[in-house]
Amino acid sequence: MVAVGVFAGITFGAYANGVVNLYGEIYDGDDGVNLPDVWVENSISTWNDSTSENLCNSLSNEIVESDLTIQNCEPRLILRGLMYHSENSGEEELIPGVWHGIDEGEVDSVWMPTESELSSGRLAATETEIVLDSHAALGMEIEIGETLVLGAGHGKKHYTVVGIGFHSQHMYFSQEGLMLPADPGTYVTGYMTDTGLERLANLESGSSNRLLIDITGTPDYDLQSTDENEGEELNALMSEIEIIVNSNNDDPSSIYDRSGIESVEFLRADADGAGKTFPYVTGMLAIVAGITIFLSLQRLIQSQAREIAVLRTLGIPKKSIMPGYLIAPLFIGTIGSVLGTILGIYFGAPAMLEMYSDLIGLPISMGVGFDLVVEIVTIALVIVMLSGIRPAWQASRLQPLEVFRGYHEVKLSSRGLQKVTSKLPATIGLSVRSSLRKPVRLAFTFFAVGLSMLIFGSMVFMMGSMEDMMMGGVEENQNWDVLTYVYPGDEGAVIEWAENNSVEYEPMLTFPIGLQNDTRELQGYGLEKLSTVDDGDAMMVIELKDGSLPLQGVSPLQILIDEGTSIFIEWNIGDKQTVMVGSTPIDVEIVGITKGEISRTMYFHRSDLAQLVGIETTSILLQLPEGGDIGGLADVTIGLVIKQDMIQSFESLLEKQQEMYIAVEGLGIIIAVAVLFNTLLMNLSERDTELATLRVLGAPMNKLGTMMFWEHLGIGIIGGVLGAIFAYFGTVAMISSFVQWSFFMTIKPQILPVLYLVGIVTFISIALTPIGMWRIKKMDLVEKVKDLSQ
Amino acid sequence: MALVEISEMERHYVMASETVKALDGINLSINKGERIILLGPSGSGKTTLLNCVAALDNPTSGEYKFEGQEVPRGHSEQMTSFRRDNIGYVFQFFNLLQDLTVLENILLIQELSSGRDKKRAVELLSLVGLEKEVDRFPAEISGGQQQRVAIARSLAKSPKLLLGDELTGNLDSATSTKVMEVLVKACEAEEITVIMVTHDESLANYATRVIRLDSGKIISDEKVDN
Repeated sequence: MVAVGVFAGITFGAYANGVVNLYGEIYDGDDGVNLPDVWVENSISTWNDSTSENLCNSLSNEIVESDLTIQNCEPRLILRGLMYHSENSGEEELIPGVWHGIDEGEVDSVWMPTESELSSGRLAATETEIVLDSHAALGMEIEIGETLVLGAGHGKKHYTVVGIGFHSQHMYFSQEGLMLPADPGTYVTGYMTDTGLERLANLESGSSNRLLIDITGTPDYDLQSTDENEGEELNALMSEIEIIVNSNNDDPSSIYDRSGIESVEFLRADADGAGKTFPYVTGMLAIVAGITIFLSLQRLIQSQAREIAVLRTLGIPKKSIMPGYLIAPLFIGTIGSVLGTILGIYFGAPAMLEMYSDLIGLPISMGVGFDLVVEIVTIALVIVMLSGIRPAWQASRLQPLEVFRGYHEVKLSSRGLQKVTSKLPATIGLSVRSSLRKPVRLAFTFFAVGLSMLIFGSMVFMMGSMEDMMMGGVEENQNWDVLTYVYPGDEGAVIEWAENNSVEYEPMLTFPIGLQNDTRELQGYGLEKLSTVDDGDAMMVIELKDGSLPLQGVSPLQILIDEGTSIFIEWNIGDKQTVMVGSTPIDVEIVGITKGEISRTMYFHRSDLAQLVGIETTSILLQLPEGGDIGGLADVTIGLVIKQDMIQSFESLLEKQQEMYIAVEGLGIIIAVAVLFNTLLMNLSERDTELATLRVLGAPMNKLGTMMFWEHLGIGIIGGVLGAIFAYFGTVAMISSFVQWSFFMTIKPQILPVLYLVGIVTFISIALTPIGMWRIKKMDLVEKVKDLSQ
Repeated sequence: MALVEISEMERHYVMASETVKALDGINLSINKGERIILLGPSGSGKTTLLNCVAALDNPTSGEYKFEGQEVPRGHSEQMTSFRRDNIGYVFQFFNLLQDLTVLENILLIQELSSGRDKKRAVELLSLVGLEKEVDRFPAEISGGQQQRVAIARSLAKSPKLLLGDELTGNLDSATSTKVMEVLVKACEAEEITVIMVTHDESLANYATRVIRLDSGKIISDEKVDN
């Protein structure tokens, strides 16, 4: 078990170090992407060349208050679009995508690590060239030199793939707001020249909708995963930028730092979380090992009590008795550590990194260093050493006379317990009392089982909650099949397509909503119909946790916020607050709180939000008739999301995680088996005399077996329930330390995972019954009777 | 018909260098109601004989009939079943279950054999003079009292034959006397045959027959008037 703890610690530690190294290489390394510090995003339209140039000049010249200086301001064009991908069968598939038009590329460049097999080629140099994202290229088996057919709402254009690489906004390769790695063939991103994208979107030269601002040095930004504000200086600069941007252009804009880029923040949080977690995983497993060693040593001392008593009688001092029992765990710990280190370095870490690399599609390098091994082994050895102290002390305190008289083993049963069980048959009373004879040992066993259940129970609960969120929230509750994006004012073409093809539709407006004196943003959804899961006739259905649906056109505006938002900024039903729509403060009243959203969300009536932002529609939800297809839709939309693809992505993620799931599950079960077997076998061996007596007196095997079965069933159920409770609350605590503004989820106590955990522990416990019966059967009653007579 | 009929019983233990004949051609017939003391020095074979009679051990050869029926050998469950139906056993160190009260120790044996009968369990405890101690744990009563509980327990399933291996070996002489008086009284009341292994010659006072063994053979077998 020590080996398992060290193995798991090194495996998780390698993963954590690998992610930290990867984060550093991408964003801060010499070959990194030179990630911007601040983004200014035009939320509804594009700037022309002179507007973006004026904005950059103003920002360079007019910032006076902040000590931070702008080193670079680069306009960038980023648009949604589609790829027309032909399968080998010749059938054309529409794949939603995002295209980046990169001009100078001095800031936020395409990341093409030279030593990685996952990237190759060069940057796009002409308007017909493109660098395809590595995730998409691998997923669809597209190679350099191939021609792609792309669109962005203005017909099809052909591009030649000249490179395969990564981009900071798509490191974690998921569709906007989805948070799950996209399944191969369901999402694509590409990086062209600025003129290449302008050609595709039929925009004038110099068009842009982002300003990428690079500040001298690397200023701290406010991390979403902490309570304190690490980015006060940057926030002050962003306030100045906001004023300048709003006074120099009419389009509503949003301004955010690195915390607003989900891909960056997710990877940072992952690195951060993994770095914090692995010492705890090691510690937890070492505690389980420590408990097992502690209990085993206690049993060993009990069986060696006579020898110890003889030594004490012969004048051996207490201090000479202790070292043996202190060295034993150290010896066990050292052997376990060596074994665990070898297994961790040569099997666990490479397998983990390969799996993680496969999962997120990024090149991740081995992160096992000497420091990591020393840290893990030290944690394990210290905990294991501590486990030997009390048994060693107990051994040194044994009184020889008591041992020779057998008094040290006699423990008066609890009178209270006897009263509680006195009405039960004596067989059941015996089972209950003998199981509880050593309550500390039983409590330690349940604690250790709880810890081992936490390891994979947390995964069971998390997967269950994610599945509930995705499959329940998207597959069952949402009534749309396709979400199409349109340029504001261009929605007529999609509506016409829908009407011509007997497709139900609902216009929707999304717009970033800011908070007063806060850099965080929410996604505002203006829905045509607001309806809940219970009466869900709308295309996008809301799961209302508390409160009621907003009324349309009242003042102040009635809105819904998601549960995560309510928790993070402490807004509740009935509160009247001010939100920022562009640079305009708007008073709103919170009338309900929704659940099931991973990202921070605010719901409006579409007409209410449209009045605020001055545009009617940014996307249209479509409900296809039975057997309907989306032929022709690509010509009238700039991008789309197909619900089935989202579900497929999630199912694919589940499939990819199966291997890890099985490995972690196996690990948890092995530990639980070891802990339970250890304790229950000790219980049985301590009862050898009892059982032999009963056998001599004629107790039949089947009755003893039945007695043992109920005993193990009881211990299994109690241990399982405690393990499930432990796993649930442990997972809740773990999740509450992981959740942040951009990623929120709750763990619900689901009956199936609970039954699964209880079932596993119960099964392990019951499985010991045949072993117990086998022990009794193999018992040499003649020898036992001899023992009983000595 | 004799209760126990043993003829030419042998029990050999194969050791590394030799084969030890623990029992060497034992012939023995025991009638109902007898109280037999097996006496002999250490290694004389008395405990081996007791174990064979109890069907705890398998004789190497010879015949063993109980109430005219062959006693099962080599099959653990059949041997257990035989003990359950016929044999009571009292150990030197009592071997009461410490987690159960005095009464529950008796109820447990009933539950594991014929079925719970609390009234009879209380009667048995009265028979051994422990009616006031029913709710005490074994550790709360004296050694002599514990052995009396063990006797009551061995009678709980109404055995035909009660076996005792040095059952007073752990008690002082006053307590031994008390225990033996209780045993005789109880076995007479329940009409139970008794075989006891002991080193203590004074226990012959409670026997109706004294058998002496040496080197695995019966060297004397005499009836006594008690």
